[in-house]
Order: sequence, then C-alpha cells, then structure tokens
Amino acid sequence: MIYRENGQFKTSYGADQQIFPIAQDRYLVLAIIAFAFIGVPFLADEYYFRAILIPFLILSLAALGVNLLVGYCGQITLGAGAFMAIGAYAAYNFLIRVPHMPLLGALILGGLSAAGMGILFGIPSLRVRGLYLAVATLAAQFFADWAFLRIKWFTNDSSSGSVSVSNLQVFGFPVESPVEKYLFCLALLVVFGLLAKNLTRASIGRQWMAIRDMDVAAEVIGIRPMWAKLSAFAVSSFFVGVAGALWGFVHLGSWEPAAFSVDRSFQLLFMVIIGGMGSIVGSFFGAAFIVILPIFLSQILPALGGLVGVHVSTTVASHMELIIFGALIVFFLIVEPHGLARLWVTAKEKLRLWPFPH
Amino acid sequence: MSKKIGDVILDLQNISLRFGGVKALTDISFDVREHEVRAIIGPNGAGKSSMLNVINGVYHPQEGRIFWHGEERRKMEPHMAARQSIARTFQNIALFKGMSVLDNIMTGRITKMKSSFVEHALWFGRARREELEHRQKVEEVIDFLEIQHIRKTPVGRLPYGLQKRVELARALAAEPAMLLLDEPMAGMNVEEKQDMCRFILDVNDQFGTTIVLIEHDMGVVMDISDRVVVLDYGKKIGDGVPDEVRSSPEVIKAYLGAGH
Amino acid sequence: MAFFLETLIGGLMAGMLYSLVALGFVLIYKASGVFNFAQGAMVLFAALAMARFSEWIGAALGGDSLILANILAFLAAGVVMFIVAWVIERLVLRNLVNQEGATLLMATLGITYVLEGIGQTLFGSEIYKIDVGMPKDPVMMLESVFEGGILINKEDFYAALIAAVLVVLLTIFFQKTSTGRALRAVADDHQAALSIGIPLNRIWVIVWCVAGVVALVAGIIWGSKLGVQFSLATVAMRALPVVILGGLTSVPGAIIGGLIIGVGEKLSEVYIGPMVGGGIEIWFAYMLALVFLLFRPQGLFGEKIIDRV
Repeated sequence: MIYRENGQFKTSYGADQQIFPIAQDRYLVLAIIAFAFIGVPFLADEYYFRAILIPFLILSLAALGVNLLVGYCGQITLGAGAFMAIGAYAAYNFLIRVPHMPLLGALILGGLSAAGMGILFGIPSLRVRGLYLAVATLAAQFFADWAFLRIKWFTNDSSSGSVSVSNLQVFGFPVESPVEKYLFCLALLVVFGLLAKNLTRASIGRQWMAIRDMDVAAEVIGIRPMWAKLSAFAVSSFFVGVAGALWGFVHLGSWEPAAFSVDRSFQLLFMVIIGGMGSIVGSFFGAAFIVILPIFLSQILPALGGLVGVHVSTTVASHMELIIFGALIVFFLIVEPHGLARLWVTAKEKLRLWPFPH
Repeated sequence: MSKKIGDVILDLQNISLRFGGVKALTDISFDVREHEVRAIIGPNGAGKSSMLNVINGVYHPQEGRIFWHGEERRKMEPHMAARQSIARTFQNIALFKGMSVLDNIMTGRITKMKSSFVEHALWFGRARREELEHRQKVEEVIDFLEIQHIRKTPVGRLPYGLQKRVELARALAAEPAMLLLDEPMAGMNVEEKQDMCRFILDVNDQFGTTIVLIEHDMGVVMDISDRVVVLDYGKKIGDGVPDEVRSSPEVIKAYLGAGH
Repeated sequence: MAFFLETLIGGLMAGMLYSLVALGFVLIYKASGVFNFAQGAMVLFAALAMARFSEWIGAALGGDSLILANILAFLAAGVVMFIVAWVIERLVLRNLVNQEGATLLMATLGITYVLEGIGQTLFGSEIYKIDVGMPKDPVMMLESVFEGGILINKEDFYAALIAAVLVVLLTIFFQKTSTGRALRAVADDHQAALSIGIPLNRIWVIVWCVAGVVALVAGIIWGSKLGVQFSLATVAMRALPVVILGGLTSVPGAIIGGLIIGVGEKLSEVYIGPMVGGGIEIWFAYMLALVFLLFRPQGLFGEKIIDRV
C-alpha cells in the first residue's frame, strides 16, 4: 500500500525516462544519500570508516565498473585487479612526476590510463568470448602483476617495491582523517553512480545489452560490435582504474602490486554476480556483502563456538571463512543467479501489494 | 490497388554460396523493384534464408555480384547493410531477451543516433534531446503495430506472436528502404496471420517500404506479393507474378516432390 | 648446446606435469561443457589426502612397510576423491545445468574455496611430504655425445613416464570402452545422447570421478616434487594456457600443449628473462595463449567453434 505507483502518470517521455520514475524510489534514494552525507559521519566511529565504509565505497565503484562490462555488455573479465593496479600506479606517477598535479587530476588521469589499457586488452573480445576471453583477461592480470613488480620506473625506483602517498587534499580541503576520506569517496561514488546510470539508460547502454543478448542480431540492426565492446572495456576500466587509485591513495596509503592480485579480480567478479549482473544497485549490494561477510564471520564464529563449548582458533576460523564464503557463492548461484538485486526487486513487488497477498 | 512500383533497387547476379562442400545457392539471379512486395518461396532447405543472409551481408557469396541502387557492393558487413537502410527479421526470433519491448525497439534507431557516449553519461543537451526525439519516433511505430500495452514488458515474457510483432517493430524503427522478412508468420494462428498480413501491407502502402519476404503459406504469398521467386535445392526454378509461378510445371514438381 | 638441451628437457618434463592438470580440465569440459576451475583445488585436496593417509596408515602399520602404506593410502585417497567428485556433481553442477558460462565458472571458483577450506581443516595446513619411492637424485646422461653430459632429474623423468601412461590409458578408455564412447557422445550432444538412452547424470558422475583420480595422480607427482602445500592450488592457473594451446576438447592436445608451455616457460625464463628483469614465466604462458586466442582460438587440436545465425 505504501509502495503503490497509483496516480503517478507521466505526461512526457522525459518524465518516463528519468532515473527514478516511481516517486517513492526517488525519496528513498535521496534520503539514503542525505543520511550518508550528513548522518553517518556523526554515528560511525573510526573502525567503521576504515574497515567497512571506505572499502565498501571504493569497491562499489570498482564493482560498478566490472558490472558495466560483465553484466551489461556480457564480456567476462578476470583481470579487473590489473586495471585497478594500472589506475593506482598511473595516478601515482602523474601525482609525483607532474608538478602541481591536483589529486582529482591524478585520479582522472589514472582512470584514463586504465581505460586505454582496457581498450588494448579488450581487443581479444572481438574474436573470442566466454572462457577464452577470461583467459585473455588473465593474461592482462599476470602481465600487470609482473610489470609493476619488476619495471622500476613505475614505482619510482623504490627499493622496497612499495609506493606511498600522503598529504592528500582536494580544492584545499584535506583528505586525511577517516571522515574526510569517507566523504571524498562517497562524493565520487555518487557522481560515478550517476554517470553509470545515465550510460545504461542511453543508447550506448542499449548497444552493450544488445551485444550481450545476441551479438549477431545486434550487428544486423546496425550496431558496430567493435565500437560497443571496446567502449564497454574503456568505460569499465576507467571506473575500475579510478577505484584502484582511490584504493591505493585513500584506503591503503601505501601499497604493493599484491594489493591488486588475481584474488582481487575474483573478489570483484563475485561482487557483481552475487549483487546482480546488469544492475547498478546490485553492484552496491554485492560490494556490501563481500566486505561485510568476512568481518561478520570473524565475529560470529568464535561466538558460536563459545556457545557449544568449542574454542575456535584463528586458523580454524579462517578455514571456516573460506568454506562458508565458497559455499555461499555456490548457494547464491544456484538459488538466485540474478543476485541480490533480483531479491530486492521481488521484495519491492511484494511491497506494492502489501498487506494484500495478491 | 494502384501502386507505383519503381525501378530496380536490388540486383543479384549469379550468386553462388558454398559452405565447405555444401552448395547452398547456385547461380541465382533476380532483382527487386522499389516499393514492391517480393516473395521468396520454395521447399525446406532450398536456401531461402541463406539468400536473405547474402542480401544482408551476413554471408558472403563466393561468386556473383550484388547491386544496390545501381552501385556494386563489395564485401559488406551486416552493420553496413543496416546503415544502407536494409532491415530484417529472423526466422527464430532474434530479440534481446534481457531488455523490454521499448528498449528493443529503441535499439532499432541506432543507425540514426549521433551523440557520443560521453554525452550520454552527462545526459544533457544533444544526448537528451536525441533520446526524446527517437522515443517519439519509436512510439509512432508502437502505435502502428498496436503494442502499446506491452512496451515495458521484458520480451522474454511475451507470447510468440507478440515477440514476432516486436521484432517487426524493431526493424521498422530503423525506417528502412528495404525490409527483409524471414517467415514472419511462422507459428502463428489464423488471426495473428491476418494481423501480420495487414501490418506488412500497411508498411508497404503507407511508407513505401520495399519488402522481400520468405513465407510458406501459399495463400498469403499469392495474396500480398507482387512478384515471386521460387528456389529449390539452391537453384532458381521460377520468377514472375504469382499467377505465372503458380501454374509453372517446374514449381509444381518441386513442391509435390516428383522424381527427386 | 648441452645447456640448451638440459633446459629443453627440463621444460618438457615440467610440461608433462602441467599436462596432468590440464587433462582434468579437458575431461570435464569434454563431457559437460563445464570448465572446472576447481581442478587445482582438487589436486591439492588429493595430495593432502594422500600425504596424510600415508602418514597415518604408515604409523598404524608400524613404520617399515612403506609400499603397503602407500598403496593403501592411494586407495583411500582415491575413495575420498570419488566422494568429493560425486558430491560436487550432485550438489552443485546438477543444479546449474543450464546456466551460462560465467555462472558455472564462478561456481567452480566457489567450490575451490570450499575444497581448500575443508582440505586444510581435515588434513592440516602445514607442508607435508609425499614419498612414493620415486628416486630423487639427478643423473648424467649422454656423456659420450656432449662433454660433461646433460643433467636430467630422475624424478621428473619418472613423472613424465607416469603421465604418459595415464594419457595412453585415458585414450584407450575413451576410444575403446563403451563408457568412453558414451562420454564422447555426451560431449557431442546432450540431447542426442539422452535420446539413445545414455544416463546423463551417471556419465557426469563418472567423468568427475575420473577427473578426481587424475587430480590424485597429479597431486602425488606434484606433491612428491614440491611438497604438499597451499600453493599447489594455484597450479590450475598455470595449466589454463595449456588447454588454450592444446584445445579444450582434446586429450592429446593437453599433452602437446603442456609440453609446449613447459618448454616455452623454461626457455623464455633462461634466455629472455635476464633481459627484462626475470620472473617472466608467470605471464609468458598466458601471452602465448593470448596469441593463440587471437589467431586460432580452438587451439592446436580442438574443435572449431562455430556460431550459427
């Protein structure tokens, strides 16, 4: 009853095509964003920012990028970690080598570098798909692993192999404390989320989805597969590259190539699948799930063990985490292959009728 | 019934198509005139769909020449055919199952959209205006084909007959000069067939679109086509107005299967 | 020249080890179209089982009948792998029959994590030894042809021999037995196989069990050479380029592909590596696979992938 769109008639195509055509959706999202900007800084403590909120925001951005490529355009990638690395190291080099380079500029340039490499490593998608494309993206991943480890120029000839940044600021505002970092990442995520939503409801989004659903038919109606696929790689890698730069700059502060290994690529892919492929909000759900799950398990498992009188050591706990994580992934894939986003949509459908059963 | 049939816009000369050792088409020549309804008929496996694929650029014939509007076509990719104003539907529906009816038809407008994806991302100015203009045009097609009530439905959920209509809508949205229809009435009941016939004739009538269609229902073919090409085992065995073709002995033999 | 031959032969033998893992990939893909990313975890799990079983059984038997202990351990580990394979097929794959490739891939990744977790919980997470009596000392060969001879590792040699025997057995299995024929039928066309009465589900269980045994053999050989440790699970990633080169559907392809990758990695590391800073073997195999993907995606021996309009 609360969630009815009754009476909300659109009198123009423009109104029909807005991001949240149902008024309740609009209010809800605006309220959440307002709360995120204004409420959370007062309620959360430093641990929450560092361990949960900031990683969630940055990984959401990365998951969004991966979702554009995998969920909307149907091109599988196991190399997203490499593009995070490219974004991070490129941004780092721009920051320290170009005098007076502002932080935002470095981030954007890092993203653009990742986009460029994304186009290059997206070329195999013009020839192959599925598992074969996945192998091609793995090639990018392992090459990046090696390049950032062995080519000294990237790390500014650092002897330890790791790089670090400090004293970040945007337009004069410092980005040092957890709250400042959180607000910075949140602002960027909102902007990028808007860009992503615009892309998916516009012509390019439809081209991507057409390629995903039936690329031969897409070609017949005039879509150029090369343009559609490579643009998907470019945009996706841009998002992922900026996220990588944020991860290194804002979350880690100092990092090594191992931060962007193939495990990171898998992690992002899991977020997209569990959250919901082809869904913007699904990317957020997936990121939240993957970020919170290990923390949740590490709290809950010893507690449960205590209940039954079993002492759960940290090694056993970490093994259990592996098992539960893997099992949950398989469970989700079997039970709801369209991810949490589909569950959300189903819940909203039920809410339209509540309290009536049908 | 006075329709102005124009000059030849598509001329196929000596087309031969092989897949490995299998000869799909052998030395086929025929032409299509502007504004006419040209049917391609023949028993199963005669090569009709392959013929459409050749016109469309999906298959490239090993021999033969193709003239479109008088100009010879070299190797053409399907998306180039689309940009040259040739649209088509498929025998097994080729809709984008993950999208709604509206979005599917909007993809038909792709060749007419000019703004870049950066503009899309920012959603202002030209991108926004274009999107609304194209929406307007698509709504006209939706009205024409009477599918307003399902415009937001994901196509995967629609019954077969409606999916075929949506596919036609997508092809029409491109405002094509020539429309290739591959068995548009397959699997339909009598009412649906009548509706589809009506739509095809309306398209030809109101927009002047040239239609090349593959169809098995002889009644439909004889009724609505201006000229007919008959294929059998990849060869042309008949070409002319429906009455001529209907009484040709070769055609009758092919369909009744005498002595193959 | 002698050094080159040494490197070459070393590469060939390393390649055989990759082939063993690649065989598991090919088997499952051939029969069910599923790419089993969990093959590496299966190798690790099998190796862990073998290592610990031989340890426990050896201790129970009194410590001097090593061969008996090893045989019993092998049988026990084999049974364990059958169970693992059956559970995976039944619980996971059967419920995901019609899903798309990405979903299946992710499912096998999930299985990887579960196997790694369970394996380490059941068998422990330290480094274990497998000792099946393979001679470990290197030997000098061909001293008459080359001055000083070529150094060949006996263990690698025996490993390659075992792998070759396994391949021959598998090829005979596929070509000559009725089950093998049924497997090939299933790989070709599920519907057709069903319609002539081949029990699809049983076939899939059999295939996964065979893959499990292959994983066990691979696990024993790798574990004997490197010790059983967690990094064994990542061996699946090293073997991926092998199936790209050889063809996902070809058993001989897995062997040839493995040899090529093994040799390629060794040679590139030795000759090109020093010029660019070393450590290039991680991505050399993948770059080779990338080249194949661009020009011959079906690999050397795989079936051509055709798309119909």
